[in-house]
Amino acid sequence: MNAQRLVHGIDQISYWSGKAFAWLIVVLTFVVSIEVFKRYILNAPTAWIFDFSNMLYGTLFMMCGAYTLALSAHVRADFVYIYLKPRGQAALDLALYFLFFIPGIVGLIYAGYGYAADSWRIGEHSNITAEGPPIYHFKTVIPIAGALVLLQGFAEIVRCIECLRTGAWPARLADVEEIDVIDTQLSHSEYVDEESRRTAMQTAHAVDEAARHRSVMEESVVHERAIREDEQKKS
Amino acid sequence: MSDPALGLTMLGLIVVAIMMGFPTAFTLMGLGMIFGYLAFLDPGQHWWNNRIFDLIVQRTYGVMTNDTLLSVPLFVFMGYIMERAALVDRMFHAVQLAFRRVPASLAVTTMLVCAFWGIASGIVGAVVILMGVIAMRPMLNAGYDVRLASGAITAGGTLGILIPPSVMLIVYAAVAGQSIVKLYAAAMLPGFFLTFLYLVYILGWAMINPKIAPKLSEEQYRVAVPDWLRRLERGRARSVFLGIVAAMFRPGVTRGSASSDGNRVRYGLVIQNFLALMVPLALTAGTFAATWWYVVIYNAPSAQVESAPVAVAPTPQTVAPQAGSPVEEKPQELGEVESEIKSAEPPRGADAPPEEMTIAGEPSAQSAAGKVPAHFYDWFWGLAAASALLLAYYYRRMDGEQFEILKELSASVVPLGVLTVVVLAVILFGICTATESAAVGALGALYLAVIAKFPRQAYTWSVFGVIGGVALGWAHADFVELIVSGSLGATFAGTVIPILQNLKSSPELRQNIKESTFLTAKTTAMVCWLFIGSALFSAVFALHGGQSLIERWVLSMNLSPLGFQFLAQLIIFLLGWPLEWTEIIVIFCPIFIPLLSHFQIDPILFGTMVAVNLQAAFLSPPVAMSAFYLKGVSPPHVTLNQIFAGMMPYMLIVCLCLAFMYIWPGMTLWLPEFLYGN
Repeated sequence: MNAQRLVHGIDQISYWSGKAFAWLIVVLTFVVSIEVFKRYILNAPTAWIFDFSNMLYGTLFMMCGAYTLALSAHVRADFVYIYLKPRGQAALDLALYFLFFIPGIVGLIYAGYGYAADSWRIGEHSNITAEGPPIYHFKTVIPIAGALVLLQGFAEIVRCIECLRTGAWPARLADVEEIDVIDTQLSHSEYVDEESRRTAMQTAHAVDEAARHRSVMEESVVHERAIREDEQKKS
Repeated sequence: MSDPALGLTMLGLIVVAIMMGFPTAFTLMGLGMIFGYLAFLDPGQHWWNNRIFDLIVQRTYGVMTNDTLLSVPLFVFMGYIMERAALVDRMFHAVQLAFRRVPASLAVTTMLVCAFWGIASGIVGAVVILMGVIAMRPMLNAGYDVRLASGAITAGGTLGILIPPSVMLIVYAAVAGQSIVKLYAAAMLPGFFLTFLYLVYILGWAMINPKIAPKLSEEQYRVAVPDWLRRLERGRARSVFLGIVAAMFRPGVTRGSASSDGNRVRYGLVIQNFLALMVPLALTAGTFAATWWYVVIYNAPSAQVESAPVAVAPTPQTVAPQAGSPVEEKPQELGEVESEIKSAEPPRGADAPPEEMTIAGEPSAQSAAGKVPAHFYDWFWGLAAASALLLAYYYRRMDGEQFEILKELSASVVPLGVLTVVVLAVILFGICTATESAAVGALGALYLAVIAKFPRQAYTWSVFGVIGGVALGWAHADFVELIVSGSLGATFAGTVIPILQNLKSSPELRQNIKESTFLTAKTTAMVCWLFIGSALFSAVFALHGGQSLIERWVLSMNLSPLGFQFLAQLIIFLLGWPLEWTEIIVIFCPIFIPLLSHFQIDPILFGTMVAVNLQAAFLSPPVAMSAFYLKGVSPPHVTLNQIFAGMMPYMLIVCLCLAFMYIWPGMTLWLPEFLYGN
C-alpha cells in the first residue's frame, strides 16, 4: 500500500507541475497576439518578444514532460507490446527503464546542471538581439524538468514492479483525454437522437482504447449495446 | 573514436528498440546517450567529462529554442479550442441541407464536413467517432450502402492531418529545415485535390449505381420556413431578398405576422435576418477587397510603403546603406533594393523571427518587379463581374427555404471557415509569420468559443474593442490597418472580458479551456521530447558514420530518382501501419532527407508526398485505426470487413493522387513558387 501512496504522490507532483506550466500556452497566445498588434498596428515592436515566446514554449514543453509521462502519453510503437500480458509488459518496461530511460535522463540532468551553472556564472544573456534578455533561468529549466521526469520515472518503475507482483497494471489518476471532445460535442448536439448520443458518450473511451490496440471494443460491451437496442425496438 | 560497426549496431538496435514499445523519446535518448558515450570515450579523460553531455544538452536547448516548433503548441491549442467551439452536428445538418439535391448527398456532406472539421481538429479518432455517431446512422437509415457510408467517414476523417494548418507539416518542416510557409502552400493543392478525387469517386459511384445511395424523401430535408418569411417572398422566384430589404425600411411590412416562437416579429429579428442575408455578399466583397489590397497596395512598389502594415520609419532606400542600424524593415517591401539590404542587413531583430528569412525571398515575380502582374486588372474585374452575376442570380432565386439554409450555414460553417481562411491566408501571403498567425488563430478560436456561448456579451464588448482598437491605431494607421486593428481589438475585448466575466459562473467554459490547455501541453510535450530524443540519436548516429553508411548503401543500389522515390514512399507506407505519424516524421524522415538532394527531389515535394502517403497508410486494412473507431460506434450489423471494403477504394485514390503528384510536381510546387519565387 505504501508503494501505491508513493506512486500517487509522485503522480500528483507531476500533474501539478505539468498543469501549472500548461497555462503558459495561454500566456504565449496572448503575448504573441499582443505583439502582433503592437508590431503591425502601432509600429512599436518589442525587442525581447522573440526570446520571451521561445522561453514560454521551451519551458512549456520541458516542464510538461513528467506530466506526459505520468499519463503515459509519450508516443510508443506498441504494436507488439499490446499483445503481451501485463506481466510481460511490465518486465519489458522495467528493463528498458533501467537500460534507456535512466542513462538518458540522468545524463540530461547532469549535463543540464553544468550548462545552467555555467550560464548563471557568466550571467548569460540572449544573443539573438543586441541586448537580449537574460537566459540563465531558461537554461535552468533543463535540469529541473529532467529531475521531474526522472522522479516520475521512478514512479513508473515502482508501477512496473507492482504489476510484476500482482499481474495487473495499477490504476492511473484520471485526466483529460483527446476523446473527451466527444462529450462536449454530443452533449450539445441537436440532431442526434438521445439514445445513440448517450451510448456514444458512454462508450467513447472504450472505443478509443480498443481502436488504439487495433481491436474492436470488448465483445461484452458490444453485446450489451445490442441487447439494449433490441429491447428498445420491442418497446 | 567513431566506428561504422557501432553505427550498424545502432541501426539494428533502433528498429528492435522502438518495436519494444517503450516510450520512443526515451528509447532514442537512452540509445543516443549510450552510443554517444562510447563514441566520445577518451581514456585520458574523467568519465564525467565525456563530450556526450555537451551534445545532449545542446540538442535539448536547440529544440527548446527551435522557432519552427514554436508554432506547434499554438496550432495545437487553436485546434483543441476550435473543436470544442464549433458544433459538428449543426455543421453537418446545415451542409446537408445545402447539398440536399446532390446525389449521395449524405456521403458528400460527410466528406466535406470531415475535411473541414479535420482542418480544425486533426485528431483522427475524435473525427471518426463523432462522424460515426452523427452521420453513420442517417446514412444507414436512408439505405446507403455500408461500404459507401463507412468509406466516406474513415477517408474523410484522416484528411485532417494533411490539409493545412496541420501539425504534421510543421513537424516535418522542423525535421527537414524547410519553411512551414512553403510546406503549407505546397500541401494546399494536393490536399484539396485529394478531397476532390474523393468527392468525384462518391458522386461517380452514386450516379452509376443510384441504388447504393437512395434519395432522401422530401420530408426528410424539408426546411421549416417561418410564416412571416413566407409572406416576404416576392415575385415568381419567390425571393425573400426584396422583402427583407423592404422590411428593413418599412417595419410595417411584417406587422401582424408572428415569428417561429409565437412572438411578434420585432425589428431586431428583421435586422438579424438582413445581416444573415448579407453574409454571402460580404464574403465575396471581402475576398475581392483583400485580393485587391494584397496585389495592388501591399505588393506594390516601395513608393507606397506607408500603406503597408509593418513598414516602419524610413523607406528601404535609406535603410540600405546603414549597416547595423536597428531598423525593422519589412521583407515584402524590399523589392529592387533587396539584395543591398541583404548584404548590409543588421542582425535580425527579435521582432523578426528567422522564419521571415524565408519570406524575405518572397518578393515574387510580382513585387520584385515592383508592379502589379500583367492582366491582373482584367482578371480581377472579370472575376468580380462574374461573382456579381452569380450573387445576383443567387439572391434572385432565394426563397424562404434557401434563406433558412443560408442562415444555418452562416451560423455554423462560416465563422470557422473565415477564421481558417484568414489564418492560412496571412501565413501563405507572407503577411505575418506562422507563429504569429497561429497565436492570432488561437485567440480567434477562443473568440468563436465565447461567441457560441455568450453571444450578447461577446458582441457588446467587441464593439468596445473595435472602438479601442481603432483609437489605438488611429495615429499610425491607414484605412486597411484601421480595419485590422479594429478587428484585433474586437477579438481581444470580445474574448478576454466575457471569459473573465463568466469564468466563475460557467463550469463548461472553464472545462473547455482547461481541457484544451492540458491537452495542448500533453501533445506538445510528446512531440518535442520525441524531437529531443531523435535529435540526439541522429547526431550520434551520424557521428558513428551510420548515416553515411546508409547513404553509401542507397547510392550503391544505383536507383533512378523514380526508384528512390518509390522505395522511400513504400517504406514510409509500410511504417505507417504500425507507427504513428509523429514517429515516422521525426525518426524516419531524417534518414531519407539527406539523400534527397542526390536524387534531385525537392524536400518540400517529398514532405507533401509523405503526408499524402500516410493517408493511404492510415487507410490500409487491416491496421487502420479509423476502421476500429468507426466499428466501435456503428450499429452491430456493420462488420469490420465492410468498413475495410469501404476504405480500400480510397486507398487506391490516394495512390493515384501520389502518382499524379509525382508525374506532375507542379501541382505541389506551383503555389509555393508562385507565392515565394524560387
